[in-house]
Amino acid sequence: MAPVSDRSTVPASASDIELLRKYEPVVCYTKGEQFYPTDVEHYVSESSLWEHHLDGHDELLVRQGELTLQKLTEFHQAEFGSVRYLRFIENLNLAETAKVLADQTLLRQKLGNSFHTGIGRLARGGILPRLVDGLFSLSFLLRGKVSAATAAAAELDYNAIFEEDPKYTYYGHVSRQNGWTIVQYWFFYSFNSWRSGFHGVNDHESDWEMITIYLFEQDGQLIPEWAAFASHDFKGDDLRRRWDDDQELQKENESHPIVFAGAGSHSSYFRRGEYQAVVNMPLPDWFLGLIRTWNKLWTDTLGQPAIDPFHIPFVDFARGDGLCIGPDSLQEWSPVLVDESTPWVSRYWGLWGLFARDPISGENAPAGPMYNRDGSPRGTWYDPLGFAGLDKIPPPPQALQMLEANCDKLSARQEELKKLIPQKAYDLQEMGTRLNGMEGDPHLAKLYLALEKEINVLSAEVRNLRRESLENTAILQSLLQRMEWMKSGIKDNPRAHIHHITLPDDPTQVLRFEHAAETWAAVSLSILLFAIAALIFFTPRYAWTGLAITLILFVVAESFLRGAFVQTVGRLTLILAMVATVILFIHFWKWIILAALLTMGVLLMANRLRELTG
Amino acid sequence: MAKRKKSDKKKRPIAVSVIAVAIVVLFLIRLVQFFTPLLSENVFTSGITGPFFTGWRLTGISTTLLSSASYLILSVAGIVTLIGFLHLRRWSWVLLMAWTGVSLLISLVDYFYSHANYVVMASNIIIAFALNITDVQRMFGVRRANGSSL
Repeated sequence: MAPVSDRSTVPASASDIELLRKYEPVVCYTKGEQFYPTDVEHYVSESSLWEHHLDGHDELLVRQGELTLQKLTEFHQAEFGSVRYLRFIENLNLAETAKVLADQTLLRQKLGNSFHTGIGRLARGGILPRLVDGLFSLSFLLRGKVSAATAAAAELDYNAIFEEDPKYTYYGHVSRQNGWTIVQYWFFYSFNSWRSGFHGVNDHESDWEMITIYLFEQDGQLIPEWAAFASHDFKGDDLRRRWDDDQELQKENESHPIVFAGAGSHSSYFRRGEYQAVVNMPLPDWFLGLIRTWNKLWTDTLGQPAIDPFHIPFVDFARGDGLCIGPDSLQEWSPVLVDESTPWVSRYWGLWGLFARDPISGENAPAGPMYNRDGSPRGTWYDPLGFAGLDKIPPPPQALQMLEANCDKLSARQEELKKLIPQKAYDLQEMGTRLNGMEGDPHLAKLYLALEKEINVLSAEVRNLRRESLENTAILQSLLQRMEWMKSGIKDNPRAHIHHITLPDDPTQVLRFEHAAETWAAVSLSILLFAIAALIFFTPRYAWTGLAITLILFVVAESFLRGAFVQTVGRLTLILAMVATVILFIHFWKWIILAALLTMGVLLMANRLRELTG
Repeated sequence: MAKRKKSDKKKRPIAVSVIAVAIVVLFLIRLVQFFTPLLSENVFTSGITGPFFTGWRLTGISTTLLSSASYLILSVAGIVTLIGFLHLRRWSWVLLMAWTGVSLLISLVDYFYSHANYVVMASNIIIAFALNITDVQRMFGVRRANGSSL
């Protein structure tokens, strides 16, 4: 780990743009990525502006070709609950749909930028998550979604814009809070094609992603200490890495963090790889409580790994084997400085793309860097420290001062306790002596009881003071030790703050019978549905049993292909044993309780008799 | 030779002995289940009389033969497993767990559609839970020393 003195610094007097350029990241994409950071001006000029009203109708405010960044921020009156949004791709008729899909194929052939899945996401999860995934896919029949033609048209339009003005833009925002200098890099993409391009969770028009670097000032220089990458709306300590953690935070020339962007999702990762993104089903609390109780019994009592079949596995491909943009790469950045005074940042709070009327928002476009979809201020903008859990951490120079102040405070209290404890202990002994002297005199009974109460209170006080003194000694030792380390430049574990580190899938992991497993993963759900249909049609009387047996056979077949036959057979047998136990208990509960009582009685008697006979 | 046997006995946890006894009990029950339908259909005295199918449906004798055969397979598999099990072989743990699973499934189907054999059910439950004990799994090489599954 590089000491602070070896870090790439910048004078504290540097301008915001100099600061941005000094630490601008290198973003590496996956081969097959269709959209790169672009500028908002071109995008807006190709879009129309709409208002979705509460009664369900959509009103065109500014048509395509007439919209500018200035017009975007003009005032348009609307009722509470309405949604303002941009539309990058207009509605397409059948002929246009066919044309854009054909043109998309031609464009991809021309660019030679194709994506290969590798181990498919369906093969990475078991049959139950696949079942839930099937329901998730079917949910698009009810939810609003962005069509494949819209994705294709967006890809064509983005490429047309890029050919006209080939540049990669980021929007830089510099702020200062609690002694930290915070440098944010915002990336705007015309489209998020995770679902249509990479079998992911969602598609939406426009995408805003961000990474942040946190610097502190020392001897007139700004020194980088932390970097936080935004990923799928997560927040907290897990998002940030310390600048000297070279394994987790890779850097180009010690100044430029390397970001691995998820294919289509544009989510940011510290390490290249393929990440399992899990989407949890929105289940009622009572059902989640049942799952928790089951898992407690399953893991604590039976020693099995926890089960959560109600999540859907998706893969975020952040392979970093495609285009890289940034210093020392083939492509350079075009920086644009923004802040609250930039009109389109602060005065446009609508969505930056199609409002798909998706009730769970996955397919609705995001709002800008300063706002959430519902128009509320975005935490990453106004509270960049809290976003990465840094609001409780002072910059290193202040941390040393705070530590010294803490030590001084504790030392002073220890000095105070050193005098106070003997004094109180003396008082206690004196009162004890008085109490002893009153014993045997019945006429002093009332006074005796009152004094005894006082003694009890003082005794508790002395005990607490002694404990406080002991605890302070231990805390002081730790603080002094830490202060010594800080003064000598020794740093603690750079990952101590991380509760759950996001790691990519093991690249060496290979499924047994890989192709068979992939094929099985793709067709198993359909075969299961056919089997259920056959059961209902041919043997309606045995449908439930048949379904249970069919499911078990599917799970066993699956486990064989995944190389988990032994564990799966063990778990299935345990579940069957638990069902059988419940049945036995229902039929023989009196006998079971009787047997348990008799056994306990015999054991207890044997134990007591052994004690008796020595 | 006698000494080796003694040391083997010392290493074997009590759960393994309990499972072995349960297997023997199940073997005997399955054997009875194998013979009973054959005796009721007089297969041993009169041989197999009548066709196996009427149209596309199974006849009574073929159903009897099928159920007897499945019980015979279960009992033979039980004995083979028992031999490997007493030698603490990994495959025998896997086979026994699978065998117990199948046996439990049959018991549950029996429970819901005809008559339940509660002794079989109870024996299988004991075997399933005993096989799941960490020490037993470790002994058969199904679980690592640190408790994780192999």
